[in-house]
Formats: sequence, C-alpha cells, structure tokens
Amino acid sequence: MILSLVFFTFAFIFYILTTTAYAGYWVFRKKWLGQIATAMACIALGATTMVLISRAGESGHGPFSNLWESMVLFIWATNAGYLLMEYRYKFKAIGAIVMSIVTLAMLSASLLPYRFKDVEPLNPALQSKWKWMTSLLSRWDLQNYAIGWLDFHVVTTFIGYAAFAISFGLAILYLLKNRYESRQQRVKLLEAIPDSKVLDEMSYRAIAWGFPFLAVGIVSGAIWANYAWGGYWSWDPKETWSLITWFIYAAYLHARVTRGWRGKRAAYLSILGFAAVVFLYWGVSFILPGLHAYA
Amino acid sequence: MAENAKQAAEGMDARWYRTLGSGIWAFLNSLKLTIFILIALAATSIFGTAIEQNAPLQKYIAEYGETWGNLIIYTNLDNMYYSWWFRGLILFLAVNIVVCTLERFPPKWKSLLEHKQERFDPKLIEKFAHHETLSIGASPEAVRDRLLQVLRKKRFGTVSSGGGDEFFIYAWKGRIGRLGSDMTHISLLLILLGALVGSVYGYRDSIFMNVGNTVKFSNESFMLRLDKFWIDYYDTGHIRQYNSLLTIIEDGKEVMQKQIWVNEPLDYKGLKFYQANYGLSWNKLEEAQLTFRHKVKEGTEVSFPVKWNTATDVPNSKYSVKVIGYTADFAYDEEDNLVYSKSENPNNPAIKIEVYEGEKLVSSPWLFLNYPGIFPAIPDSDHDFVYTGHKGTWFSGLQYSKDPGTNIVWVGSAVMGIGFIMAFFIYHRRVWIHIKGGGQSTEMKIGGTINKNTFAFERDIREITESVSSN
Ligand code: HEM
Repeated sequence: MILSLVFFTFAFIFYILTTTAYAGYWVFRKKWLGQIATAMACIALGATTMVLISRAGESGHGPFSNLWESMVLFIWATNAGYLLMEYRYKFKAIGAIVMSIVTLAMLSASLLPYRFKDVEPLNPALQSKWKWMTSLLSRWDLQNYAIGWLDFHVVTTFIGYAAFAISFGLAILYLLKNRYESRQQRVKLLEAIPDSKVLDEMSYRAIAWGFPFLAVGIVSGAIWANYAWGGYWSWDPKETWSLITWFIYAAYLHARVTRGWRGKRAAYLSILGFAAVVFLYWGVSFILPGLHAYA
Repeated sequence: MAENAKQAAEGMDARWYRTLGSGIWAFLNSLKLTIFILIALAATSIFGTAIEQNAPLQKYIAEYGETWGNLIIYTNLDNMYYSWWFRGLILFLAVNIVVCTLERFPPKWKSLLEHKQERFDPKLIEKFAHHETLSIGASPEAVRDRLLQVLRKKRFGTVSSGGGDEFFIYAWKGRIGRLGSDMTHISLLLILLGALVGSVYGYRDSIFMNVGNTVKFSNESFMLRLDKFWIDYYDTGHIRQYNSLLTIIEDGKEVMQKQIWVNEPLDYKGLKFYQANYGLSWNKLEEAQLTFRHKVKEGTEVSFPVKWNTATDVPNSKYSVKVIGYTADFAYDEEDNLVYSKSENPNNPAIKIEVYEGEKLVSSPWLFLNYPGIFPAIPDSDHDFVYTGHKGTWFSGLQYSKDPGTNIVWVGSAVMGIGFIMAFFIYHRRVWIHIKGGGQSTEMKIGGTINKNTFAFERDIREITESVSSN
C-alpha cells in the first residue's frame, strides 16, 4: 500500500466529517459545533499536507506531476485559504459550502482511474529545476530538493484556482442570502451567514487574491514555455483557457469599478469565472488535445 | 450670402467632426466597453480551442461539411488568433486602455498630489459610510495629541490645524495603491508591444539533424553542428531526458559547445535551439551488415559490417565497399530520376553502396533489405553483395526561434506584478477627524473612506477610536 493513499483516505474521512460539522453549525448554531468544525478542518489540512509530503517522498519530486496530485494540491490550497479567511473574518457558516466543494473535489480525485494517480518519474518536459537553486543546495548535498518552474507554475496557478473556488462558494451564498433579504423574508437557516453585502465584498476579496495568482501562474508558464517549447506563447488550449478565465475575472474587476455591477451581476460573473476554471482544469485535460501533460 | 453659407457650412462641418470625434472618444473612454471587449475576447477565444488550428483547408470541409467548413475558412476561424478580427479586438482593447488612461490619469494624479485638507466642514464627516461620533473625557488638545500619535504609529500621514478647543485632523495612507491599476494597464500595453515586436521581427522553424551534420542558417552568420544525440533512462526504463550536444561554428572557429535537453535550450545571439524531437534517421546509418557470396557455390558466405561512408575491405576478395546512401522507405521518382524516402519509417530499407576493385569504382548499386539479390551488385561477376541488416543512427529534431520581443514581454510582466501588489494589497485610506471641546468632555467626529477592502477600514477606525476612548 502506498502511504500517500493511506493519508488520502484519512483526509477524505475528515473532510466528510468537517463538512458535516460545518453544516451542523449552520443549522443549529451551537458554538461548540463550530469549534469542532474548525478543529476538524485543521486535522484535514494536516492530513492533506501529509499526502503531499509522502507523495513527494515516494516520487522523488514535487507532488505536482499528475491529475490526482494536482487535485490534492487544489484541496490543500482551498482548505488553507478557507481557514485563513475564517481566522480573519470569523464567519464560520461559510465553511459548509467551501468544505462541500472540497469534499466533492476529494471524491472526484478518488474516482480517478489508477493511471492518473500512479507514482511516476518526471517525463523530460517536466524536468525544469532551477539551476541556481540546485547549485546552491548542492553545497549541503540537498540538490534533490531543488524546485523549478513546474513546482512554481503549478503552485501559483492552484492558489489562484483555490481562491476562485472560495469566491464561487461565496457568490452562491450571496445569491441565496440576497434572494431572501430582498423579499424582506427572514429565513432561520440563513441567519448564520453574514449579510449579503459582506458576502459580496468577501467574494471580491477572494478574487483579488486569485486574479494576481492566476496571472503569476500564466506568466511563469510563459517563462517555462520559453525554455521548453521554443516560445512564450503558443495558443495551446490550456494557455488559451487560462487567458479566457483571466479575462472573465478582469471583466469582473472592472464591473466592480463601474458601481452598478456589484452584487448580483458580480456574483453571476464569479460563478461564470469558476465554471471557466473547472473547464480549464478538467475539461481541457480530457477533451482538448494540447501540449500540457495534464491538469 | 455666399460667404455666409460657406461659413455656416464650415461651422456645421467643424461641429459635426467635433461631435463625432468626442462621440468616439466618449465611446472609447467607457468601462462598459472594456467589459464588453474582455468578454468578447474570452468568448471568441473558445472557438480557437474547439476548432483545430492551422489544419489543411480540406480537412475543415471534410469534418464540418461544405457550409460550416467554408464559414470557418471564410471567418479565419482556422487560424483565428492571427486573424484580422481577433487582432482588431486586441487593438481595440489597447486603444481603450490608452484613452481611459489619458482621460483619468491626470486628474487622479492631481488629486493625489493635492489631497491635503487642513480645514474642512465638520458636516462632511457624517456623509461618509464609515463615521462615528464619540465623546471623550479629556481635553481637546490631549485628544489631538493622542490621535496624532496613534495615526503616526499606524503609518498614516497627517496634517492638523486649529487651536483652542477646536482641532482638525486629516490623515492618509496608501496613496500609491491608486496607481496600481495604471501600472497594470501600462504593463499590458508593454506586453502587447512585445508581442507585436515578436510577430514582426521574430521567426520560428525546425530542423532535423543527423549526428555529425552541420547546417547554415540563411539569416545568421554562424553554423550549427550536431555532435551527439542520446537518451537518458530511469532505472525503471522510463525515458528521463533527450540530449543533444551542439557546437556553434562562426568564421570557421568553434565558438560555443553546449549540451541541450528539453527545458534547456542553447541561446546564441538571440537565436535559441530547443530539443523538440528525435528518432532513427531515415537517410543515414551508423553501419550496414553485408554478406559477400558466390552466386552458385554454397557455403561461401562471409558476413561483415561496413561503417557509414568508410571504405572497408571485403574479406578474402579483391573488393572493397563503402555505404554512401540509405533510405528507410525507398521510393523512386522517374521524372526527376530521384531516390527519396516515402516516410520516416523503415518500410523498405535500401542502401547504396560503392564497390571498388583496388582504386577503381566497379559499381554503385542500391541493395534492398526486403528483396535480397534481386539486382546483382557487381555486373558480370560471379560474386554478389547482400544487405542483411544495419545499425541505425539518431536524428535530433531541433526547434529554433528568434523573438526580440520576449524581453519586452518579461519587463511588462514584472511591471504587472508590481501593479498587482499596488492595486490589490495597498489600500488608499483617508480619515477626517474633527475635535471640539465643550465643558467636561470633548466631542470627536471621525469618518473617512477607503478605495477597497472596507473590512480593513472598519478595523482601522475601530482601533483609532478605541485608542482614544480607553484613556
Ligand atoms: C486585460 C485587460 C485589463 C486588465 C487585466 C486590467 C487590470 C486592472 C486591474 C487589476 C485593476 C485594479 C482593479 C481593482 O483595484 O480592483 C484595474 C482597474 C481599472 N481598469 Fe483595468 N485592466 C484591463 C483593461 C482595462 C481597459 C481596457 C480599461 C479602459 C477603460 C481599463 C480601465 C480601468 C479602470 C478605469 C480601473 C479603475 C482604476 C482605479 O481604480 O483607479 N482597464 N484594471
């Protein structure tokens, strides 16, 4: 049995428990339930970290070289991003929706066919370690731990994806809450979540993180492509879709500058943006042929 | 009369142009247009990922049918990222950025420079979404000093005025954040400029080189030689890396040698060589295996290897042979009298050899691996050569490209990074405070704005008010 898969199973169980606890907090609004939920989310984050670490040990390189590994990274970043947000804003009920997204992601990762999960050596195109780092670390005989464009590109992109996923969750909550607020209806279930105005602002803040990270991901991809493929841009479907996604979020940001586009329309744009992210991540990998190895 | 009419017509004309001009200007100055262009770019880009790009035209007809196929070709969807309309859309975005910046930047700059308000109407404070009034049991002067201290500690810039029992404080922080969006926009223009330079002055192509080959590039003064090609494997047998050892030769001198692999190109005078491809050569061998035999007598065969282009003595005979040609998939063009390879695959391997008797060239036949002995190798002789096998040699597929716009793109990307940090993580906060004493307590009004992230601002205001009220 591969250790990383053991940790994965463990994390999966905890994500289900975490989601249940947050949902329970939402419904019953008991403080202790909220505390348990946060604690479980931390344990799940620890387990996810262990999946990544053990996978790095098993494969001998950064755990970002196939679809399953990148899913774990996405889950890790979403969970970490959520916990940071909870720590800053102290709104716990949002956890129910974010953790549902994460659990769904866990489920889809676990259903991947084995060839997407296997421990594999890096193929030639993915070997991109930074020379300066390799030579620096080799002074202490640690050169195997040097990272490169693969690691940087994937991690920055996935932090972006995670922020967009959180923004998506918040946009859904916004639409729910706004619907009842505008009808002046009090719905007990929705009292635990913050006002729609706050949700709108938080959804925007998540995009304000995701947008630059996606940009750094795109630029680092371009730098890498300039080493690997003979040019910084070749309109490969993955590249193009990342640009499409980026344009949608750029439209979102400008829509906010022209006041009228906050609230509902902004929420729809955020949802559209996340749909593009999902296609960028899974759709392109499975439907459109291209130069990208995976993900 | 005529004068008047002419003048009137001129006036009309001028007005017409002016209104048209300002109409276009207003149109280009609109953020709604920006949103529209961004969405249009996103939406149209999808076509290019769904429809194969740069395929032969017949393929579109075959795949999509007559009507749709022709529509695709007619609208350039087969090469859409380079089509006039897609480029037009990008140009439109650039013009939109320029107009927006020209229109908005100067007043913004001015208001950022001349922002200080030493005196203001206290009623202004209540107009802000974030404002508070509280009364404090301390003298106005003490409240002012305490506030200034707190604001400075929070790294706000401050000006204050007033005296006696009435004071005004204006404080600000993060003005530079306002320029983040402008930096971002300028960076986009830079990146587009880099792409433009690249598309005008850059080029990209690929070559296949056999080990030992030297090629000359038409636009460059130097030559490139492939010294070696090899593959590294993991212990598990997976391919680890493809490598080529390349030498640059300029003015007859070897000026540079470098091992390249996927992710590690060679860069010489702006021309970059990338490891892109490899395979078994279809027009060269390392060595061929030949059999020399008597046409009728049994048991006379001797088999021996012959290295490429190297004269080799045939054992126990007066002959020597040389392998001078190879094609993996032999074909013959009768019109041009040319031998060529139909494909890269060894479907019909053939070699051309030269047979010498001493110094004299006796014959130079083609021999076929799949058809041994169909043509005699040496005319009017009892002896024959048969081609029985070979050891291939690698070719290395190299891509090469030159793009003088690349560095402009990198500069643009760096500027964009700075712009993002300024736009998203430095918030422009402005705080107005009015302090007025009256009897035992002092009344303090505080209010202000932040350009984004109202949460952060609420925290600021809370911390400032707490610091004075806790006295
Ligand atoms: C791909 C294209 C573009 C990108 C990536 C981009 C990026 C940005 C960013 C990151 C911001 C800051 C947003 C924020 O603070 O929330 C911004 C603001 C803005 N952008 Fe753009 N922009 C683009 C095109 C344009 C164009 C074509 C215009 C022309 C009208 C424009 C006008 C503005 C304006 C007026 C602001 C607000 C300025 C301010 O807050 O002071 N943008 N843009």
